[in-house]
This record gives sequence, C-alpha cells and structure tokens, in this order.
Amino acid sequence: MQAERRKSMAERRPSTLNRSSFSAERTGSAQVVPHLAGIEDPLPNSTPEKVDVVLVGTGLVESILAAALSWQGSSVLQIDANSYYGDTSATLTIDQLNQWVQEVNRGQSKCYDNAKLHISGLMGRGSYKSRDFGIDLSPKILFAKSDLLSILLKSRVHQYLEFQSLSSFHTYENDSFERLTNTKQEIFTNPSLPLMTKRNLMKFIKFVLDWTNQPEIWDAYKDKPVASFLVEKFKLERAQVYELIFSIGLCYNIDVKTPEALQRIRRYLTSFDVYGPFPVLYSKYGGPGELSQGFCRSAAVAGATYKLNESMISYNPDSRIAVFSDGSKVSVTEKVVIAPTQCPKNSGNVPEQKYEVQRLTCVVDKTCSEWFTEGENAAVVVFPPDSLKSGNRQAVQVLIMGSGSDVCPAGTSVWYLSTTESGVRGEMDLDAALGALEESIMRESSADPENDQGILEVDNQGHMTLNSVKLGQSFKEHSQREKLQVLVKLYFKQFTSTPPFEVVDPSIFDVDGAPNGKLIPGASDNGVIYTALPSAEISYDEAITAARLLFQKIVGSDDDFFDLDFEDQDDDVQMDESAVIDDDDVEKMNMNLGSEMSVEPVEFAGEMEI
Amino acid sequence: MNSPVTSIKLVLLGEAAVGKSSIVLRFVSNDFSENKEPTIGAAFLTQRVNMGDHTIKFEIWDTAGQERFASLAPMYYRNAQAALVVYDVTKPQSFIKARHWVKELHEQASKDIVIALVGNKLDMIEAGAERKVAREEAENLAQEENLLFFETSAKTGDNVNEVFLGIGQKIPLKTAQNQAQNGGRGSSGLRVNDDSRVDLRSGNQSTSAGGCNC
Repeated sequence: MQAERRKSMAERRPSTLNRSSFSAERTGSAQVVPHLAGIEDPLPNSTPEKVDVVLVGTGLVESILAAALSWQGSSVLQIDANSYYGDTSATLTIDQLNQWVQEVNRGQSKCYDNAKLHISGLMGRGSYKSRDFGIDLSPKILFAKSDLLSILLKSRVHQYLEFQSLSSFHTYENDSFERLTNTKQEIFTNPSLPLMTKRNLMKFIKFVLDWTNQPEIWDAYKDKPVASFLVEKFKLERAQVYELIFSIGLCYNIDVKTPEALQRIRRYLTSFDVYGPFPVLYSKYGGPGELSQGFCRSAAVAGATYKLNESMISYNPDSRIAVFSDGSKVSVTEKVVIAPTQCPKNSGNVPEQKYEVQRLTCVVDKTCSEWFTEGENAAVVVFPPDSLKSGNRQAVQVLIMGSGSDVCPAGTSVWYLSTTESGVRGEMDLDAALGALEESIMRESSADPENDQGILEVDNQGHMTLNSVKLGQSFKEHSQREKLQVLVKLYFKQFTSTPPFEVVDPSIFDVDGAPNGKLIPGASDNGVIYTALPSAEISYDEAITAARLLFQKIVGSDDDFFDLDFEDQDDDVQMDESAVIDDDDVEKMNMNLGSEMSVEPVEFAGEMEI
Repeated sequence: MNSPVTSIKLVLLGEAAVGKSSIVLRFVSNDFSENKEPTIGAAFLTQRVNMGDHTIKFEIWDTAGQERFASLAPMYYRNAQAALVVYDVTKPQSFIKARHWVKELHEQASKDIVIALVGNKLDMIEAGAERKVAREEAENLAQEENLLFFETSAKTGDNVNEVFLGIGQKIPLKTAQNQAQNGGRGSSGLRVNDDSRVDLRSGNQSTSAGGCNC
C-alpha cells in the first residue's frame, strides 16, 4: 500500500506562495523555493507535539533523508543519542573517538565489535589537541560524476562545504607502489606500455564508457568474473586487468562479476576531467561527518527540529506515539526511521547485519606528501588480493589524508585502511597492509631529507646515483632506519546489512515492523523502519540510493526527492546543474578520446571498431 | 566601481526569539548603502556592504533553530570571521545566555573572530516596557571580552546597519585577503581563495581540460 502523494513545501506554506512570481519563468516541475524560506517564522522552543516523520540517528543517509523530506514539505524531528552529528558516519575528535570506543566495547550495539584504540603518549604531551583531529568512522570519496554530487548542488549543501581533488591512485604490486596510469591522459605517454597494450586498453575504454548499450559484447560474461572478460575479449595483460579492477574499479576481489565491475570502471572514467584531471573529490575537515552536518543544517533551514543527546525509548504503532529519553512524546503521522545503532532498548526488529567491514585507522607523524599529486592532500592506495604477506583474498583499500585536508595537524596524516575480509583474517590483512605502508613511507621519507634532493643522490664517496627508492620502485633491498610514530591507532569491526557491491537492499525498508507483518509482543520498535549501516563502499554511491528509497517509502513516490530550485541566483558564478551522466557526455568522452588518438595516428588508424 | 570584494562568514547566536533573524532581515532587505538587491539563499543570506575602497560580502548564517536544543554543529562555527551575539534588553535570561554564547565562541571559533554583542528590542523600552539589562552591564561584558557593543531595534531599524558597518571596520582586511588558511581545523583561519579548493559549480563537460578545441 502506498502513501498518498504529500503536498510540497510551497503548497504547504501558502504564505510563501505569493512571493514566487519568478517561478512562472521556470520550466519543468521543480519546486521553486521562495526567498526567505525557512527563516520567516520564529521557531517554538519546545519539541513539536506532532510531526510527519521522526528520524533517529544523524548518519549520512538519515540526514540526506531529513533534508529531502523537509524541503518536500514534511515536518521532521531528527534526534541523535550522541552529543555530535553523524552517528555511523561521524567525524570525531580524539576525545570523542575514545568515548565511542568505550561505548562499542560496553557491547550495547550489535553494529560494531572488537574496537581497539591506542593513543600514543605523544598525544598527551601537549603537542596536539584532541580537536586538531577529525577522524571519520566511515571515510568516503566523492566521484565527480555521481548522484550525491548533483544533490549537493541542487540542495545548495555544497555551500557549507569545501572540496579538494584527489588524483593519486596507487596499486601495490610485487612489493612496490605503482602510480596508476590515468588511462585517458597518460596511456600514450607511458613508455612502459607496449603499443599493443595501449591499443587494447583504448579499445576497452571506448567500449566501457558505453557498455550498457553494447550487451552483445559482454552478455556471455554477465555471470562470469570480469577478469576473464578483460583477458578474453580485450586481450589485456594482468597488470592492466588488476589496475582496472582494483584501482579504477575499486573492487574487493577477483571474482567480481562483469557488469558490476564495468559499472565501477565507467564511474571512474566518466568522473575524470569533470572538474579537472582527477576523478574524485573529498570534503575538507572530514568526510561523511561533514556532509551529515550540512544536510542536517539544510533540513533545519527548511524547518526540521534537531535534538542531540536524545534517544528514543519506544514507539507504539497503534497510538503512533514515540516516547523519548527526556520524557517528551510526539505523535507521528507518517513514519519512524531508526538507525540500527540507535535502536531503542527492548527492540525486536533490528535487521540482521551479517556483512563485515574491518577498519584500521592510524594517525602517523609523516606528511605522506610523497604519495600525493603536487598541490593535493590525499591519495588512494589499493592492495589487490594476494599482494600482502598475509596472502589476502580480498583487496585492502586505503585512503590517505594529509594535513592540507584539515583532518589532522601539520606534519601528520591519517591512514584509513579497510577490507571486506571477515574474522581474524581481516585483521591480519589490515596489519600486513599497515606494515607495507609503513615500510614504504619510511623508505621514501628517509631518502628524502628536509630539502628534497629529487631523484639524484650523492654518496659519501662522491658518487652520484639515481635515487632508486622513489615511489614506484622496488624497495626490497632497503633497510629501515627509524620507526614510524603512530599517534593514534584504531581498529574496529563494523557490521552492515548491505552486501559488498550492492548499494542497499530495499527489502530491509519493507519490514514495517516485524517480519511477515506480525508485531513482536513487548518490542519497543514495532512498526518502525530501520536504515542500513554504511557498507564497505569507499564512494558515496550508496547513500543517495538508500535515502531515495526511504523517501519513496515514506512519501509514496520519489518525484519530489530534492526537486527544488532556489529562487536566488548567486551573483558570482553560474551554476552548472547537472552532474548526472547522460548520453551527450559519453559522446564527448568519446570525442576526447578521439582527439587524443589523433596524436598518434599511425597506431590507431582504422582501429576503433570493436 | 570595481572595488575588491572580501567574503566574510558571519554567524548569529543568541537565545530563541531575541530577534536574531529580524536583525538580519532588516539588514539585508532594507535599502542599505548603495547596494543592490540582497541575495537570499537556502544556505545562508548574503549582503554586500560598500566600505569605501573595498566591498565586504557578508555570508550570514542563521542558526536555523539548531541552537534550541544545543544542537549547533561544529560546521556552524568553522571559519566564522564575525559573530553577532544577540540578547533582548527586556529579558535578563537572554543576557545570561549571551555570556554563554561568547564563551562558546571563544572555545569553538577562530581566535581572530570579531564578535558584536547586540542588545535588541530597544523599541520596546521606548514603548514603555521595562529595561531589564542595563547598558553598563553589557558594556562591561563587551570590554572584558573585547566585543563590539550595540543596542538596536530590528523593528524600527535603529542602529542595525551600524552593527554590520562596525564589524566591517574591525575585520582585518589585509589578513582576510592574503592570509592562507593555516589555523587547522580547531582554530580555523579565514575563508580566502584557496588554490586546492574545487568549486562544485565549475564542473563542465564541454570545456573540460583535454577536450578538443575544434
């Protein structure tokens, strides 16, 4: 049964309607949000008695949902049991992290397990303050062409945030880091690639940009691993296959099915050059935690009520009354949506969280600028399966954030390692990857004294030698001179109901109370909808999908999901609205490729047909 | 006139119903100085003020009600270069709250933040209501904490523009324009043009780097 379509913000607030004469000029169905929307009415100083939707938890999905519902016209109360915004997506100070670990280990939630935190004595000696750090519980990167990016623009939430670029993707192979050959830009200038390989790669790239329209090419492989597809259909070598699957596609293991992998490879390629020569962005000061705050603020501007340090005690699906920890009650006209981490006591309906994500997060006293592209402050390092001493079956993905991203003080950096491997193996893989990172950074930074001598070095007998320990070179022969100082080391296991590679399982939103529609006698959470915890996915791609599905479930349709258009125009820059991929873009990508190919006409004459 | 424009993030603080939004509405929607129409967005309100040889563009962040249950996010304070701490001259409780917000700003915001203490609803005293916060008391607080101090009426517009002009004069423009962000996340610096910053509105397919120019 679907709920009726609700009235929008503009329809529900007739006082603002007469201001929107400008709206007549606009085309399409977008809601024009009037001048001063959200600040015209003084807000009461008490919890509302009646709301349309109660959201428990301020994680990214819940916060996006809060903003979408509020601008659509629903009245929203969003609470969080913590003293900060973000819940499962929070960006935490060291003190907050400490508290969080203690809470996890008190065993109250079934969402996290085995949290271990080590804080170095250096932290306590006054050189660093807790607030100098912003540690993400589930760090993410933002593809330049993605649903979330277009929602950030549409909602104007981007105005609360600052974004920086990330173009360095390293793959760890044979004990060394290989900087990713950014297919579109560098394939032709990369001297290490044989001509045949270049040609095959370019063929593949042209295909993958438009892969959904060419099922005849991959149909036979739709249930097979992509590796066999790449080798058999495009004659790609192992090195390219690994780069495509693990660095460009950011997949977790070699068994990934062809369509999933093609989608992920295309995501990277179409994101390249949207804002410049890089495929992804990240927000400064912290990732999903910052975005959550931005969407919550946006929801508040549209009229949502916020309460931190507040949890839900129970919800009664018959009376539709929700009771909170401060003793207040609210009557709910539509739905109660709860993050599994913030389920009420005596809950009986929290969906099973059967997939593991293991995370190891370290703050180290190295800038790690060796790994960044010049002018940037972050990098992605991927350890493909079987590249680590632990014999890892799943990839370990690492996001490195330097102090220029303002998540840590100058001279330090944050390493976020994660894997979908479960159990003890996961922890061993993370430790092995940490060891490899440590070995690499100590080698590079000890070979690069304060005043960087570049790749030339002079030894004590006056011999000039090429520095053989730069990034991308083997360091087997190198002996480690000093030990890396780890200021903070956090290990934890997180559970989620979202399987790897899938965005979100919509069926978990259909629960509507107990399975089979039966109420569990005495449960405090009958009739509520539970959201999913963040998955292992390193991009934001799941967040918008999950929020949109929930929105549809509550409102009855997703037509009004951020369907808004603000009346003002910023006077400085014209807004480029669409970051959604369309056919034109594919066309342009192809043209770009075509123009690059003309640089090497001999190689490619007549070779573009597949 | 093409005077240099400096963007200043200004945040509002104060107890509910002291007139925070009203002060801003008076400021941005009055015909003020030589400015054109104010730009009012969903994110924050902006208003340009001509300060002679330069222009200040105030980006004014309303609390959006998130202060009611002590739920302002760190994002709210970050990189704020100016703040209005507003109280109601007829409500002593609101002045106590103002002290709290000044303390909060010292803890959460940039060290160089310019704070204006604003006693609003002066018109109510003129209309016969009893003044409950003495001018001297507020002046003392302002002096102790190095704040600008104004008494205003958002209703009549009395002294409202002066608050913003006063802030504009006190903002160290040279530093605002030249100083790079070096304060780190806690002691946030200034929102100046930062080379590493990517403007999400600038995304463009047709003119992207590497595209063909034909």
